[in-house]
Amino acid sequence: MALLEMNNITKVFGGLKAISDVTFSLEKGRIVSIIGPNGAGKTTFFNTLTGIYKPDGGTITFNGKSLVGLRPDQIAARGIARTFQNIRLFPDMSVIENILVGMHIHLKQSPLQTLFRLPGFKKEEADAEKKAVRLMRYVGLKRVENELAKNLPYGAQRRLEIARALAADPLLLLLDEPAAGMNPQETEDIIRLFRNIKADMGITILLIEHDMRVVMNISEDICVMDYGEKIAEGTPQEIRANTRVIEAYLGRGAVAGQHEEKMR
Amino acid sequence: MIRFLKRINVYELVRPVGQMMAFSLGSAAFMSAIAISLALALDDTAVGVSLMDKYNVSLFTYTMLNLPQVIIDGLTIGFVYAAIALGYTMVYGVLEFINFAHSEIFAVGAFVGVELLIALDGMGILAGASLGMAYAYLILAILLGMIAAGGLAVAVERVAYRPLRGMSRLVPLISAIGVSFLLQDIIRLVESLTSGQFNRIMPTFGNFDSRIIFGKIAMGSSNLTLGISVKSIIVIVSAVLMLVGLNYLVNATRVGKAMRAVAQDRPTASLMGINVNRIISLTFLVGGLLGGAAGVLYALKFTRIDPFVGFFPGLKAFTAAVLGGIGNMTGAVLGGIVLGMLETFAGSYMGVFTMGAAGSEYKDIFAFSILILVLIFRPQGLMGKNVVQKA
Amino acid sequence: MISLFLKDLFNRVNQGRWPYLIVIGHILAGSLLVYTQPRSNLAFLVLMTSFMSLYFFTTSVRFKLIAGTMLALVIIPIVGVRNIFYLEVIFQISVFAALALGLNIVVGFAGLLDLGYVAFYAVGAYLWAFFGSQQFYVLHFAPGTQPSDLPFLLPGDAFYMFLLVGVVIAGLTGILLGLPVLRLRGDYLAIVTLGFGEVIRVLANNLDKPLNFTNGPQGITPIQRPSMPDPVVEWFNSVFRGVVGHDVTPADMYNLMFYIFALIVIIVIIFVTRRLDDSKLGRAWTAVREDETAAIAQGIPLVKMKLAAFAVGASFAGVMGVLLAASRTFISPESFSFMQSIGVLTMVILGGAGSIPGVILGAATVTILNLQVLQGFSLYLNELRQSDAVMPIINFAWKDLSPQLDPAKYQRMLFGLILVLMMIFRPAGLIPATRRKREIDAEETN
Repeated sequence: MALLEMNNITKVFGGLKAISDVTFSLEKGRIVSIIGPNGAGKTTFFNTLTGIYKPDGGTITFNGKSLVGLRPDQIAARGIARTFQNIRLFPDMSVIENILVGMHIHLKQSPLQTLFRLPGFKKEEADAEKKAVRLMRYVGLKRVENELAKNLPYGAQRRLEIARALAADPLLLLLDEPAAGMNPQETEDIIRLFRNIKADMGITILLIEHDMRVVMNISEDICVMDYGEKIAEGTPQEIRANTRVIEAYLGRGAVAGQHEEKMR
Repeated sequence: MIRFLKRINVYELVRPVGQMMAFSLGSAAFMSAIAISLALALDDTAVGVSLMDKYNVSLFTYTMLNLPQVIIDGLTIGFVYAAIALGYTMVYGVLEFINFAHSEIFAVGAFVGVELLIALDGMGILAGASLGMAYAYLILAILLGMIAAGGLAVAVERVAYRPLRGMSRLVPLISAIGVSFLLQDIIRLVESLTSGQFNRIMPTFGNFDSRIIFGKIAMGSSNLTLGISVKSIIVIVSAVLMLVGLNYLVNATRVGKAMRAVAQDRPTASLMGINVNRIISLTFLVGGLLGGAAGVLYALKFTRIDPFVGFFPGLKAFTAAVLGGIGNMTGAVLGGIVLGMLETFAGSYMGVFTMGAAGSEYKDIFAFSILILVLIFRPQGLMGKNVVQKA
Repeated sequence: MISLFLKDLFNRVNQGRWPYLIVIGHILAGSLLVYTQPRSNLAFLVLMTSFMSLYFFTTSVRFKLIAGTMLALVIIPIVGVRNIFYLEVIFQISVFAALALGLNIVVGFAGLLDLGYVAFYAVGAYLWAFFGSQQFYVLHFAPGTQPSDLPFLLPGDAFYMFLLVGVVIAGLTGILLGLPVLRLRGDYLAIVTLGFGEVIRVLANNLDKPLNFTNGPQGITPIQRPSMPDPVVEWFNSVFRGVVGHDVTPADMYNLMFYIFALIVIIVIIFVTRRLDDSKLGRAWTAVREDETAAIAQGIPLVKMKLAAFAVGASFAGVMGVLLAASRTFISPESFSFMQSIGVLTMVILGGAGSIPGVILGAATVTILNLQVLQGFSLYLNELRQSDAVMPIINFAWKDLSPQLDPAKYQRMLFGLILVLMMIFRPAGLIPATRRKREIDAEETN
């Protein structure tokens, strides 16, 4: 059974169908990309999946249970972690605290244990700190645990956001344009990181990306959206050859030209 | 001249008047229906009996006798709220920011207008003024109040809000709270130094206190008088004129278009060559002008003002803006009228209906209860669209 | 330039044995000044600022503890009973510091702007005012008509129990208010809490009918205090008669006692705040403050976390309310106005939202400005009015100055100025909050 099943999802804003009747399923342990021109409904798709928007129709089943009607924090607790298109860290918290916040759902400390610093609390905090440092290393951050998140350089902020998401031990990791604004070297590093995440932790990854080098390089499957609809799905080779996809991109003149360029 | 007249968009002049009439009549009818049915229902209970014992009048008759005055008062204060509420709603529409100091902008308008009239009165000018001159002086006071309040609003924005733009939402809000408190005491300081007291009374002049009687209807042993005071007419007419003017400015002029563009999307508007800072200043100016005029009208209606006079009208006007749907101008007018009505009805009848257990002393928190209920059950307000907060 | 020079000087002095000498010198100088000049505000200020040098200079924790305890529990009580006005100032500082620390949890940590915070203070105060006075037997009398020989409902010592009851009831009130409104966006929340504060005040003013719960605008009095055993007074006198110079009355001892109670509450609040701040809950609060959308994506339940902050903040206000009612033996709705809420907010903002030492400094500064500077200014103006002095240049005679002009009443201007200036020039406050630095063993984590 698939890890994530979305059937006939529809989301309407005003009179506009941002997502219309999208059916999508994701097998455990895969890396899948969602692509599409600007305004195709990709981020809305993420926001619907994570509960920020309530779908106007359709069902979402994750790990065997329905997600419809749950709050975003409940969905996160079910094992879906995400990063944001425009990095959203907690800027005035230290790096390690950002990661510790990511572990929120797993920490069991009670108010009583917290107030009196009982052994259970101390151990949990110490373990959490160690895990946080391990995660920092894993995503390639140096020992910057006490820096404020806002003082990190851009690339490091992206990595920190990934570490924070991993801290929740998610089953599914949603990445919204993780390579945006990165240079080729950084992009290559981050692709390697995603492969490792999948291999080491068995985490399923779903990403939105514009950079076709990333998409074609990393994806096992690609889902293409346009005007809120899913227009194609398949392996990178299949998508490359799909006429509807090429039309969707080429039909848009100059902007599409760039995309086409990247796709080669 | 004819070409100029042709360019006036008549529809935009007529539409708001129609809306305001509909809102006024609708809320008056609705509230009256509730009050009358409550009166009828309670007439035979202990409530009606105790009233009969005390004043020898049935609850129904009592309600009917007071109804015309209650409606007029409700409308009058409702239009004052509407004029203040527009200041909140316009600023919120453009900046998504509650201009907490707007209540003091209103108070400054009231003080400037009243001080002018007191000065004229002191010179003996008001006492001997003809009716026409009395109106001219009143208009002068309103204009002066508007100018002072509008200028102050622009200055406050420039000094205390603009440097904080782009910071976390609470930062400008806290600054606005500070400005509000500061202005209250500045008014008090200036008044203490110049006039030696800070409670000021609007001088009596002209025919503003007289009442126009339309007729009487016999009702039991007493008469139901249909009348309206000149003050109330002035307040309502000036408020309607201002609201029509504002509506025209925003919906039918180039400047208004620029304002709407800035409200929709500031960065894009700026790319289109709109001077965003100027438009924001203009928004504060217009809000301040309306608030200042409302201040003088408020003083005309309630006679007495003090440096803290803005607090409750300000909060209620904010409630009105939220009730109507904040950011929506028509909504602010609707909210003002509805709130004015609700409050006046509650203040007038609640004491009798609850046998004195809870009376007009709860009038002021009545608005808050409405505010809380609206925010919980319909945060987008009566006329607002359900908008997702910009991510 | 000057600040750089001062920083440099501070760093040079703040080494080795120097800080110890400076702190001790400061405390001794302050004590000596106050002792010889019991009426001088400046001397008092020197003594109070010794808390700051104790905080800023680098000394060992043990030294800080001992010196702080000496200051708070020995020197200040002696100074206080010698000049009861100082004790009043210190008591008010402690009360406001406790309130500001409570509000700091809501505003500073969770980022929720609560403009009606004193409502919870009022809940606590009226709670003890009702149960600790004769009010229960006054229920059926209109204000002012009750007979004078009514009994008290509870003994004065029930006060101790009501400290806990106050915590619980105020906390519950916080949750009850919070449940519907904490879904609202920050700026709406501010207005709604303001409204709630006004609702509580209007209720306190008007719940003298149909049943007389609050005695209306006249307020409730007398409210009982816990008992003060004679031996305690005698012991204090036997030990401190020499330094104080006269015997202390039980009334003064009460003032001292409530000051110490307030200190205990402050210590408890600091303890709780620090422990919570450095835990899952505190991190969740900060995360919610920084970015709600990102916080919720980490599985943090927004409303629950905000409720927790609201309830914790409210319960501290509640316990301070109980304390206030007992210490004053009289309360009226006036003490719980919107201005009081803004006053407490001003302390938090001035000191630095989220920063414990900052908030205490803010509370002390605002209270001293309010009680000593503004009032001192008033006294000075009155003296000028009675003299024949004229203002230079404009030749305005001081005695013609309106008697309405009383600087002591210009708290709004004080609060307003502080809020605006801080937001524009130093939004993080005088002592900005810092994040804890963690030392993690690098070896183990390899």
